[in-house]
Amino acid sequence: MHAIYPLTLAALLFAVGVYGVLARRNAVAVLMAIELLLNAVNLNLVTFSSLLRDQYGMGQVFTIFLITVAAAETGLGLAIVLLLYRNRGTAAIDDARELGEDGAFGLKRVPQQAGGGAGGATGPNTPAAPKAVTK
Amino acid sequence: VSTLALWIPLLPLLSAAAIAVISLTARGGDRTGARRAVPALAVLPIAAAAVLTFVVLFGHGTGAATESQIRYAATGGPEIWLGARVDGLAALIAVLVGVVATAVQLYSVSYMAHEERYTSYAALISLFTAAMLVVVYSTDLLVLLVGWEVMGACSYFLIGHHWERPEARSASIKAFLVTKLGDAPFLLGILFLAHGAGTFRVQPVLQHAIQQGGHGYTAAGAILLIGGVMGKSAQIPLQTWLPDAMAGPTPISALIHAATMVAAGVYLLVRTYALLAVAPQVSLAVAVVGVATALGASVASLFQTNFKKGIAYSTVAQLGYMFAGVGVGAPFAGLFHLFTHASFKALLFLAAGIVIHGAGGRESLAALRGLGRFFPFNSAGFLIGALALIGTPLVTAGSFSKDAIIDAALSRQPIIGYLLLGGVILTGLYIGRLFSIVYVAPPVDEHAVHHDPESERPMNWSLVPLMVGAVAFGYLGTWLQARLAAPSDELDLLPGPITPIGLIAFALGAIGFGIAWWYATRRAEAVAPAPSEPSYAAAGWVHAIAEVGYAVSDGLRRVQSGALATYAFGSFLALAIIMLAREVTR
Repeated sequence: MHAIYPLTLAALLFAVGVYGVLARRNAVAVLMAIELLLNAVNLNLVTFSSLLRDQYGMGQVFTIFLITVAAAETGLGLAIVLLLYRNRGTAAIDDARELGEDGAFGLKRVPQQAGGGAGGATGPNTPAAPKAVTK
Repeated sequence: VSTLALWIPLLPLLSAAAIAVISLTARGGDRTGARRAVPALAVLPIAAAAVLTFVVLFGHGTGAATESQIRYAATGGPEIWLGARVDGLAALIAVLVGVVATAVQLYSVSYMAHEERYTSYAALISLFTAAMLVVVYSTDLLVLLVGWEVMGACSYFLIGHHWERPEARSASIKAFLVTKLGDAPFLLGILFLAHGAGTFRVQPVLQHAIQQGGHGYTAAGAILLIGGVMGKSAQIPLQTWLPDAMAGPTPISALIHAATMVAAGVYLLVRTYALLAVAPQVSLAVAVVGVATALGASVASLFQTNFKKGIAYSTVAQLGYMFAGVGVGAPFAGLFHLFTHASFKALLFLAAGIVIHGAGGRESLAALRGLGRFFPFNSAGFLIGALALIGTPLVTAGSFSKDAIIDAALSRQPIIGYLLLGGVILTGLYIGRLFSIVYVAPPVDEHAVHHDPESERPMNWSLVPLMVGAVAFGYLGTWLQARLAAPSDELDLLPGPITPIGLIAFALGAIGFGIAWWYATRRAEAVAPAPSEPSYAAAGWVHAIAEVGYAVSDGLRRVQSGALATYAFGSFLALAIIMLAREVTR
């Protein structure tokens, strides 16, 4: 098989992943997009490993490593998202901006609800209706 | 002996690991019994390592450098080697590190006896020692970088030892960030040099630089490397962390930050001197930075209201002299000053520590005014340290090394030489001011001292070897020079004990000392110069640098929007730019 097919696929996967990371608001969707990025890299590694006739199979070894690391990363990420959701009732990453500086460039600052979750303690202000929705 | 040197850093590392294991496992049940083992575990391995560094020094003798190394990682590109290279320079600095670390651990056993967090403190000193020994002996720039960073991390934890105090917290963060600001170019410099030479090993990198005649990657790598060195050795504009680091426990501020860690920068500068020698513009930059630091820090020391910070700025100034010495082409003179300075600066710090201890831990000059007279032995110690600092000929060590630097500077870069010579009058002024205020001026409150001759005796004894060193170390110059192999050129030869330049420098220093004495004993406001005084503006450069820092951080602050998407966008943009740059430059 010509190498152009898997490489094009990897490039497309990567592009979709970049779009997902940049444009999605839901933290779970962002995590999935990151998985796409990693898998695009995996595909590239395997492709070049066979294309270059890598006698040690380093590309494939690294792919195994990457799958393991990606699994660990997703587990950790999902745990964080879960905590975020429990504390705020939403998993939208745009709303989690407490570490931003006043007067920063970029998006307009989301108006803070009273005691808006600094430290992430379960306050009385936890909205009852979760509005974790994508656009 | 280099095989031995390869394993020396393991001893303090094991000590740190053992203490860590004890403090983790002994939680709960029998804590006191386990804690009793900590001092022995802290002191004995470090002392053994110190003895081994002496074995390496004398085993090495004056012969050629030896190397032994293990290939650690075959990366496909430049390989990484775990190795030890023993030459005169490395052997001597390792001895300095070993002896100082042993002294710190011994001193801390009693000094920190009642501290709750003594275990972690002792483990961190051991880890620091291991890291510094790795830096000193390493043959490989990447391994050196690992030791360098571990040192920085240990220093962060040790400065912040009293983390319940806000000033200790902010000082530790400041030290970490400021030294990291230098370490980022340091890492880049290593990569540049390795890219140029095709290997990370120090010796081939230097040889490559000599063969290439120092252009392209060499000059860029050298100037980036110096960024890291400036951070560690507290040169302008990265000097700000060292005076604040005095918030740590006294043994740490006196010995780790005044004698050992700052020496790492000067050591690396001398170690990679071949890079400077082939790039004259870079070495001129080093000399200019050194002079600016020497003069600027001397002026800043004049306006300190805290006793220890006054001495800390003096350390910065003397490091500036060392930098200037290396920069004008006299690496041995700079290194010699490092050794003599370590002895008399430790003397000044420990003498100051006794007065501070006697005054119940107060450090401000206003509180300490005139209290030194109740400690006659200690006054003599501080006076000897002060005389060594201004370079009294014949009887103190400081004159030998400082004259060597000024001599070399005058014959190579006359402007820098005259500036350094003029700087001695500032040295006299600031140390004269500190001495006169604390030890000569009439005491404000005679009952402020808790005088207890019994408990002070062991501390007084600790001054004796340092006094001997501050007086006699200068005569070891030729012995040191033989150890460090031949000097690079005739400029680096040591001048005799009495030189005309040395006498002029001493006269200037003595004039400064006299003026400060006259002023400080008569005027009470000498302890805290008012910001409205016109002379205070001279120290304004400290503020100017801080203002620049604030302005830059205020601009950068706006990037921190807190929105994840903007950060991700920044990363992808940077990736795209790097890939584009690669395509364009291909």
